[in-house]
Amino acid sequence: MSKPLVIISKKILCKDEVLEVTNQRVLYWEAQKSLILSDLHIGKSAHFQKSGIPIPKDVLTTDLERLKQLILHFKAENLIIVGDLFHAEYNADLDEFKEWLLQFENLQLQLIKGNHDRLSNKIYEQFNIEVFKSELNINTLKFVHDPEEEINDYFTISGHVHPGVFIKGKGKQRIKLPCFQVTENQLILPAFSLFTGLNTRQSLKKCKNYCFTDDGIFEL
Amino acid sequence: MSNFKQTQGYKIIENWMAEKNQTPFSFQIQTWERYHNNFSGMVVAPTGFGKTFSVFLAVVIDYFNNQNSYKKGLKLIWVSPLRSLAKDLAKAMNTAVDEIGLDWTVEVRNGDTPTKDRRRQERAMPDVILTTPETLHLLFSQKKNSRWFKNVNCIAVDEWHELLGSKRGVITEIAIARIRNLSPKTRIWGISATIGNLEEAKNVLIPYDVKTTMIRAKEKKKIDIISLLPDEVEELSWAGHLGKTMSSKIIPIIYENTTTLIFTNTRNQSELWYQILIEEEPDLIGQIAIHHGSIDKVQRNFIEEAISNGLLKAVVCTSSLDLGVDFKPVDCVIQIGSAKGIARFMQRAGRSGHSPFERSKIYAVPTHSLQLIEVAAVKEAVKQNEIESRIPYVLTYDVLVQFLVTLAVGEGFKADETFELVKEIHAFHYLTKEEFDWCIHFITQGGNTLKAYEEFHKVVLDEDGFYRVKSRRIAMMHRMNIGVIVSEVMLFVKFFSGGYIGMVEEYFISKLKKGDAFILGGRVLEMKQIKDMIVLVKRSQKKKAITPSWMGGSLPLTSYLTHFLRLKLSDALTPNNREKELKFLHPLLKRQEANSHIPKHDEFLVELIETKEGFHLFAYPFEGRLVHEIMASLIAYRISKIVKRTFTIAQNDYGFELLSDQEIPLNEENIAEIFSKENLIQDVTASINASEMASRKFRDIAVVAGLVIQTQPGNRKSNKSLQSSSGLIFRVLNDHEPNNLLLKQAYNEVFDYELEKVRLQSAFKRISESKIILKRAQNFTPLSFPLKVDSLRGTMSNEDLNKRIERIQKQALKA
Repeated sequence: MSKPLVIISKKILCKDEVLEVTNQRVLYWEAQKSLILSDLHIGKSAHFQKSGIPIPKDVLTTDLERLKQLILHFKAENLIIVGDLFHAEYNADLDEFKEWLLQFENLQLQLIKGNHDRLSNKIYEQFNIEVFKSELNINTLKFVHDPEEEINDYFTISGHVHPGVFIKGKGKQRIKLPCFQVTENQLILPAFSLFTGLNTRQSLKKCKNYCFTDDGIFEL
Repeated sequence: MSNFKQTQGYKIIENWMAEKNQTPFSFQIQTWERYHNNFSGMVVAPTGFGKTFSVFLAVVIDYFNNQNSYKKGLKLIWVSPLRSLAKDLAKAMNTAVDEIGLDWTVEVRNGDTPTKDRRRQERAMPDVILTTPETLHLLFSQKKNSRWFKNVNCIAVDEWHELLGSKRGVITEIAIARIRNLSPKTRIWGISATIGNLEEAKNVLIPYDVKTTMIRAKEKKKIDIISLLPDEVEELSWAGHLGKTMSSKIIPIIYENTTTLIFTNTRNQSELWYQILIEEEPDLIGQIAIHHGSIDKVQRNFIEEAISNGLLKAVVCTSSLDLGVDFKPVDCVIQIGSAKGIARFMQRAGRSGHSPFERSKIYAVPTHSLQLIEVAAVKEAVKQNEIESRIPYVLTYDVLVQFLVTLAVGEGFKADETFELVKEIHAFHYLTKEEFDWCIHFITQGGNTLKAYEEFHKVVLDEDGFYRVKSRRIAMMHRMNIGVIVSEVMLFVKFFSGGYIGMVEEYFISKLKKGDAFILGGRVLEMKQIKDMIVLVKRSQKKKAITPSWMGGSLPLTSYLTHFLRLKLSDALTPNNREKELKFLHPLLKRQEANSHIPKHDEFLVELIETKEGFHLFAYPFEGRLVHEIMASLIAYRISKIVKRTFTIAQNDYGFELLSDQEIPLNEENIAEIFSKENLIQDVTASINASEMASRKFRDIAVVAGLVIQTQPGNRKSNKSLQSSSGLIFRVLNDHEPNNLLLKQAYNEVFDYELEKVRLQSAFKRISESKIILKRAQNFTPLSFPLKVDSLRGTMSNEDLNKRIERIQKQALKA
């Protein structure tokens, strides 16, 4: 239904682990066969619709299609979602997601709860999602939703802020792109869903930005 | 006429006026008589000559003459664009009604009306209501609202010229259509200042098959236009922005007059000028105030009252005081910089010397040399009485969608009847049934793809054939969003100790850190904290502070003004005796002529200049900033077709610049082709990023059509989970629903308003009929210099995105 995805990735060293940033808003962790992503906001389009704002539902369908291609491409066995999997209440979008999940029999889902994830635990059980209230630690990686102050023992991976960069050129050229923000001790993921805005306020010190387009990754 | 003058109604009014030693103006009598004879129409009169009473008393007279045909309840609906006008007008009407001895009640209803008054009005409507177009639509969204409008005799639209040419004009047209639908006998009257297209203005207001008339007052406002010149031509910079050196000339004028209004073009400039003036003359502190749209309403009212009571010597202001109540003490106006248009210049001049036979006095203060030519041009235009037209909006689907939901929230509507009603409105004459059906579909199903919107139930079709909104939450959100004025996200600014100062854009405040100082309302403030959409501040002792720059505010010169500008420049070297501006500029003009050329009215000048910076192309179409921006991209595009080049672009109201690091392949042989009018629109479409511009236009459309929920400043509940940017929705719709009519409207608006398609075409036609003069100069010429320093810069490039990023990245790394 959609044009084939161009997946470009780039390996970076995060403390002791090698992770791959991609131009498709996910991080891949080969050693664990895990795709790491954040801010899917499933249910957002239906939530808007319920409030009388017509947002096409295809938004979710294309997000999920993209995720499917990524899972197949990397042959991933786990999804680690660092928060904001669901946007608001239980609605038709979540049913579509449930249906979609059926095609991956052996896929494991782990969710670190974000500020939007307010549904009852029963619902996450229905989806077969392992839920962590505030953090998940694997080796030296610590997964949380909200970026936190840097602690040197861990390498923190988070989301929540939907990072982006303004690239300014000569004259008044400005381009806004989503990015991964990486420092010595932490990485902030871009929002996975395309129906999300960008936050271009830079809060981290000594930070590398990996921004990307449909067919490229750039380091700034 | 004689028949009418015998009527009881006329006699009552004539006597009443005679008691006050007044006689009606002839245009007033004419209006009364035409109204008496069941005409609808439009009254054109300058302010201060009693145009309000022309229409108001017409209804009163008719009431006396035909009391039996009048029923209880609303008789006259008085629509005006400004809330602030209503209060004073109601007072004047109430006084008149009392003195005449009529048992009518006249009341105001708008956003400022207290809830208890609203409820009372809803139980029993007054005889006359003064309101705004938005408030009328809000009334339409109430349950059982049609009973209020059943017996309306007249709907009057004050300052129609201000509404026409904006989407507020369209919602006014719609309101009239609905009221006329409920009360078919309603007469429609407009009141307007002089504009270029009065006949069209009347037809937009009254597109119905009724008797109409246009009544023009013979009375004219006399205007004195005085340009303020520095002592030496060198004192005025060639380019400059502020004209700060002129402040010493302004102070004496302030002292010579009772009260002076000082108009600047942006809020930013008004803050700066306020500081400049109190620095130049500290004695003025306490007698000078600042007034603009971002200053707190309470304080603005306070300032306006102080002006009325003659407590202030001067007020620095923006278009915030273009309209509104008459200030009796104001006897002088100063315009700093260009007023950008003839109508606007005259409107501002008219704020002084308000009573009928006083003269208006306006000083024009140039902020750079070339603006003096503009002053000469304005004088000429005023002499010839040539004023801009206001072009009405058409096919605004966003407004239609909003109206349909308003009806559905109110009493519900039937599709066929509503289509008939809408088709009569000027803005929707060319609306097709398909487009109307799309709008219905949009509010009931969401979009085109049926299955994609299963959760969407904004408007529901009931079994009785009526479309209704069922959800209270949706109804409430819709009511809060009625209207077409879309504002930036604004934050209130408030002292820690209490007291509001005004508003600033979120964008500006997001760049400030705690402890930073900024200027608002003439005060230096220190930012302490942001809480619930409120910026908490305290007074700062700091000398240096940032002045907020509010978005918008920089309008392009109108085509009428630029027409006169070209004429004036053409014979600038041989001014007549009275044109002291041109004489003053003589040294500068001579330099232009010596180093390059002064374009005559049938010539078009292009300059090629090589400097250390690179190769410049300057062209001077004198068509206003917007058109120049498009022209610049277009010319860059056409040159790039010869040889690939990347240009830096700059433009102002007079012309544009292309800058390249390599020689520009333009010469006497190919210049006519480069500036050709052939393939204009195709080339424009290829040269600009239309989707980015449309995305910007979509911002307003998305709010009006209810796709984006506006957050009111200071409102704690911000509907957080429903927040999204219009840019995001634009992208989503572009990807998933390219046939969406609202998207189409955004592109249309880009071509009609952003690209000013008509103006662009006529500009190229004019250029093709002109003699093109290509000059090569060694250094910047007086005409090119302002462009050179202009900060509005953009880059035109035909490299692809990734290459651009790489290149920008390299530049960024170098820095």
